Amino acid sequence: MKYKSQKVARLYFIAALVLFVAQILFGLIMGLQYVMGDFLFPYMPFNVARMVHTNALIVWLLMAFMGAAYYLVPEEAETELAMPWLATLMFWIFFLAAGATVAGYLLLSYSDLAKLTMNDMLPTMGREFLEQPTITKLGIVVVALAFLLNIGLTILKGRKTVINLVLLMGLTGLAVFFLFSFYNPTNVVLDKYYWWWVVHLWVEGVWELILGAILAFVLIKTTGVDREVIEKWLYIIIAMTLITGIIGTGHHYYWIGTPEYWQWWGSIFSAMEPIPFFMMTVFAFNMVNKRRRNHPNKAAMLWALGTAVMAFLGAGVWGFLHTLAPVNYYTHGSQITAAHGHMAFYGAYVMISLTIISYAMPMLMGRTAANSNRSQVREMWGFWLMTISIVFITLFLTGAGVLQAFLQRMGENPTPFMVVQDKIALFYWLREITGVVFLIGLIVYLSSFFVGRNEPEPEVAVAE
Amino acid sequence: MAESAVVEQNDKERRYPPGDLAIWIFILAELSVFAVFFAAYAFTRLNHVELFNEYQQHLDRRSALINTLALITSSYFVVRAVAAIKADNAKGCIRWLLAAIGMGFVFLVVKSMEYAHHFSLGVNLSTNTFYMFYLSLTFFHFMHVMMGMIILAAVAFKAKQGAYSATEHTGVETGASYWHMVDLVWLILFPLVYVMR
Amino acid sequence: MEKQQKFGLRPCTWVYLVLVGLTFVTFFIGQMGLSGLKVALAVLFIALLKGQLVGDFFMGLRRVKGLWRWPVFIWLFIPGTLITTAFYLAARAST
Repeated sequence: MKYKSQKVARLYFIAALVLFVAQILFGLIMGLQYVMGDFLFPYMPFNVARMVHTNALIVWLLMAFMGAAYYLVPEEAETELAMPWLATLMFWIFFLAAGATVAGYLLLSYSDLAKLTMNDMLPTMGREFLEQPTITKLGIVVVALAFLLNIGLTILKGRKTVINLVLLMGLTGLAVFFLFSFYNPTNVVLDKYYWWWVVHLWVEGVWELILGAILAFVLIKTTGVDREVIEKWLYIIIAMTLITGIIGTGHHYYWIGTPEYWQWWGSIFSAMEPIPFFMMTVFAFNMVNKRRRNHPNKAAMLWALGTAVMAFLGAGVWGFLHTLAPVNYYTHGSQITAAHGHMAFYGAYVMISLTIISYAMPMLMGRTAANSNRSQVREMWGFWLMTISIVFITLFLTGAGVLQAFLQRMGENPTPFMVVQDKIALFYWLREITGVVFLIGLIVYLSSFFVGRNEPEPEVAVAE
Repeated sequence: MAESAVVEQNDKERRYPPGDLAIWIFILAELSVFAVFFAAYAFTRLNHVELFNEYQQHLDRRSALINTLALITSSYFVVRAVAAIKADNAKGCIRWLLAAIGMGFVFLVVKSMEYAHHFSLGVNLSTNTFYMFYLSLTFFHFMHVMMGMIILAAVAFKAKQGAYSATEHTGVETGASYWHMVDLVWLILFPLVYVMR
Repeated sequence: MEKQQKFGLRPCTWVYLVLVGLTFVTFFIGQMGLSGLKVALAVLFIALLKGQLVGDFFMGLRRVKGLWRWPVFIWLFIPGTLITTAFYLAARAST
């Protein structure tokens, strides 16, 4: 860590991990509710557990992205953060607002929460993933603006690197597309149409720029490969991401009442979305093979390579599985979607967040470059437990989804929804058990922060 | 002497195509998108042969001819630009590049006139499946022509600053390769959409 | 370079002239309103040939050895085959 103000990232990272735990716990609750419908009835309905599960994920990823930006932007720009106090202030506002929102979800009925937060004045509640009360959304906008101002000014006064510019582009896009969460047309087609501008253009557009920038930063730091080479790759990856991702939005427009050409546009362009992810995999392994030094933080390197592989599998391959309109006709909204959602979010965004946390946290805790050997080994156990669990969760959900599409939507006499749900219950049980393993992996991972704190950093053979 | 031997070697036998390898990865990715688009066109036509054959007659083949010639010519100019810089003739390189960009403008103008004609008749993406493909394919290509022109302009600008020479001209070759790709795609698009029936 | 020139023209200039010529052939086939499977495939073949010329001479792939010699050829081959198949099936269905 070269600049004092980078330290603010620590707050964001810790809060992100706390929310990560909450996300997993609520995931386990709703996973159980799939097979034991009255679990926690009437205190915790499924829809509330789901809301907390997804909202906690989004908020903790945002926290991690912000933390990543506060850490890497000063280092790239070679200057202190423009306004460190603002970063701290915004953290507390964001964290308290997130806490209050979750409390609202848990303690009040959703309609009471809407009334309490005066949703009538500017109705924005009630849409999947964007369930937050309007006032929370406004809070997010304020935090995002302050954040962009802070980051933007820092970049402006310092060295302008490609990584910083790509990151800034991604973060700006993130803020701009969030504004569509305030646009709530009465026409249901338009409503869904623009809803995807937030949801899709985040995860399959601007977030990928953030992912690319963070990955490039960590790879430069850990491999010592020339910045020029890495920047070149970053350029072609983001160009391809934008070409395929933006028009690829069409794969959400197949069946919502939009014109027919979206079936073509959506199919063709989104079928190409795996390409940038594949490039990212090739890129990461290439850089690691060409490395000029052996960085003592092996765990961070593992996370970086893991991101490149799992993002390709989860976002690329599992996305492709059901992206073509003729296939999606049968699989739309089935457990296939859930399978893709889990591996894509974990593989791309959870893992990139954990990559930057793994890389930065040792320095933020006052070490020179890496944690002790014992801590790193523990962290890698966490990596493998969580990653293997998510692979199995994905496989079980895919099994469930294939069976579901087959029984419920194909053939002469399709089986009713609830009957099918009973038939695929075995897969849900397996998924829940694997989910418990994931939680164990998460605990192991978190415990790595507390072991071997007084032990020295591992020695590495200095490359020539 | 040693240097010219290297150049010779480069010209005779190389393991990698001219230009930065990164642009070639990008070119391959772009080409695959077009390949999928072409195949989709051909297989959709299978179910609407009469519709496709009928509305193909409404396209302006003369404009397409002019545009094909414009792109081939500009591709040729770019080849000459690369040859010029290899002969250490930066001025010539810039002139050929500007000529190529000029041909790109011819393409854009002619294509825009075609679009204007169709739009004035009320044709849009939802008119029928043929027009959906015609407009999508050509417009996606249209965007690539613009992108290619921007790249060529950037190369010309750097050449003007004296960034390239007989020994170092990867940038020129990189831009050239991208532009040839734009040409290559059109060479298939033109017969497929305008002529084959 | 000097040695390769024929009638004072560079190889790339010859290729350019061939490309222009083939373009006119395609255009006139269109103008004459010719149709049918054989004509369509002939037009396609001309297009693929032009593509290969651009790849070899303009993009300079003819001088490349190994894997990178083939991307344009493969790119032409795959959609070319698919288009041929589709047009063949269409022609068969209509008769």
